[in-house]
Amino acid sequence: MEENELEQQDRRDFLSCLGSALACGAAAVAASALAPPATAATAATAGAKPPAIPGYDWSKHRWGYGVDATKCIGCLRCVEACKKENNVLGDAHHFRTWVERYVYLEGEETARIDSHADPVNIAASGSEGEYRFADRYKDAKVEKAFFVPKLCNHCTHPACVQVCPTGATYKTEDGVVVIDHTYCIGCQYCVQACPYGARYFDERRNVTDKCTWCYHRITKGLQPACVEVCPVGARIFGDLNDKQSPISQFVKNNQVQVLRRESGNAPNVFYVGIDKEVI
Amino acid sequence: MPRHIVRLVLLMVAIGAVGYVAKIFFTADSFYEYGHYRGKSVAEIASDKPKYKGSEYCESCHAERFAEWSKGVHNKSDIGKVVKCEVCHGAAGERDVRGMFEHLATGVDHPNKLKLVVPTDARKLCTLCHEKMPGRPAQQPQIVVASHAGTQQCTVCHNPHSPKLNLVSTAPTPIRGDAARGKAKAAACVGCHGAEGVSVNLPGPSLAGQNAAYFIAALKAYGTGARDNPMMSAFAKGASDDDAQDLAAYFAALKCQSSLTAEKQAAAAGRATASKCIACHGADGVSSNRAWPNLVGHSKDYLVAALRAYKSGSRKGNMMAGIVKTLSDAETENVAAYYAGASCK
Repeated sequence: MEENELEQQDRRDFLSCLGSALACGAAAVAASALAPPATAATAATAGAKPPAIPGYDWSKHRWGYGVDATKCIGCLRCVEACKKENNVLGDAHHFRTWVERYVYLEGEETARIDSHADPVNIAASGSEGEYRFADRYKDAKVEKAFFVPKLCNHCTHPACVQVCPTGATYKTEDGVVVIDHTYCIGCQYCVQACPYGARYFDERRNVTDKCTWCYHRITKGLQPACVEVCPVGARIFGDLNDKQSPISQFVKNNQVQVLRRESGNAPNVFYVGIDKEVI
Repeated sequence: MPRHIVRLVLLMVAIGAVGYVAKIFFTADSFYEYGHYRGKSVAEIASDKPKYKGSEYCESCHAERFAEWSKGVHNKSDIGKVVKCEVCHGAAGERDVRGMFEHLATGVDHPNKLKLVVPTDARKLCTLCHEKMPGRPAQQPQIVVASHAGTQQCTVCHNPHSPKLNLVSTAPTPIRGDAARGKAKAAACVGCHGAEGVSVNLPGPSLAGQNAAYFIAALKAYGTGARDNPMMSAFAKGASDDDAQDLAAYFAALKCQSSLTAEKQAAAAGRATASKCIACHGADGVSSNRAWPNLVGHSKDYLVAALRAYKSGSRKGNMMAGIVKTLSDAETENVAAYYAGASCK
């Protein structure tokens, strides 16, 4: 009986001991997991040394991007320039930026949408390495049509960053979502998480890839390659901190809208001239 | 506490400790520097070399083309329309590719080894932007390719660096020939083209006052066989570049004279038809651009023969071939009379 009591006592002791141990362990794990980001955040706001980019301080910039769909002519020079600038895979199905064509035919409720990756457009361009829109609606009665350039929205609350298990993708202080390819394990959670389909998987390197707003160019005072080559000024880029920059003026002087506002990602690519079917 | 429980607890602590040490050991130095990522990767991503270098990069070597372009309609920065050099010619910078793509790196920019594209198929290139298509904004100049130019290349009429000018080149070609030397050499031409370059009832066209650049190009065309005429081909093959220059200088300096006045009645009827010619050859037969021939001062017979040659295809010319297709025989006669009757100024 006594022994039994002792045993019960022990079990109770053990359970309480185990409980407190678990609590302690959880606290320790939580502390080790949470503490570093917390200190990092305070360090960053306290003006820690910015990354070693010559002549560039990321705390002084907040990049933004504008698309004026009323100007886009669908020449796809941006798609080609982006691929060259960033060594994107050469075929039609891997791209960091793309252009969609929305065509409303007479009597049709919804738009017909295609991009350079559509088989008809690939056939018109002659190969997957060249990009052009085929004049496929020349005999149809078109009520309304327009082109919409698309790219990563570099969201303020990026879902892709939230789901990354390794910290390979992140948002920089100046507002650009980038990927550290040496840390990417190719799980593609981020490809799934992005509401805009802006990420693609690079089978060549087994990593995910995406638009960086040409981070290597903008940190040198240049424009992203797509903005650089756009012949009609449909793509606008600049620093939202600078009230005179093209993007600040664009946002100020136009009724801009963003794609999928309801997703809660708070995108930073601002559109003019698109209608409700563009998402 | 029983010993097996103590062992279990110790084991858990040990696993925890190993895990913690492993985390410290395997976490990159700069991880957590700015957040839950490797801080050093920011500078790494920013260190790539830009490929697109901008039009200013091209200016130092291609000043002439740059000047042409910068004044033209492909550089209208005031309305935000700028077709930079690299849009058509490709990126001038070849960047060094890091990591596992190092083998792809050539490490050279355009003037060194990296050749840029000189687009040969302008129909394919220009129509990327200028093919008429639903969805293209109205302010974008667009053409229906089939009816605009048939199967011709855009560059036949348009200078891609400054397309609005519409004609191949407006810059006068410097003539280095000597008119005095040319006069001596022209002795061979008198038989068909007349004394002082004015052909009166002779098989050849008048040459007096003809544009020198056109003269040289025409002579060269006979020399290479691009234009074929038993008489002229023989002369042209014997003529050197210097001869062509001298002759061009001589004939260009001569005063053009109207060959005949007998056809002036038909000329009135040809005036309407001449609207097809005026854009290039002028209402008075003096061409708006030095690349095209003046029509003033030619005999009607010569002009009719030339138009028929274009129509039959025995004389080649992308522009003219398209235009003569639309002319009836009567119109050909009349328009020839119209220009034959144009008075020299």
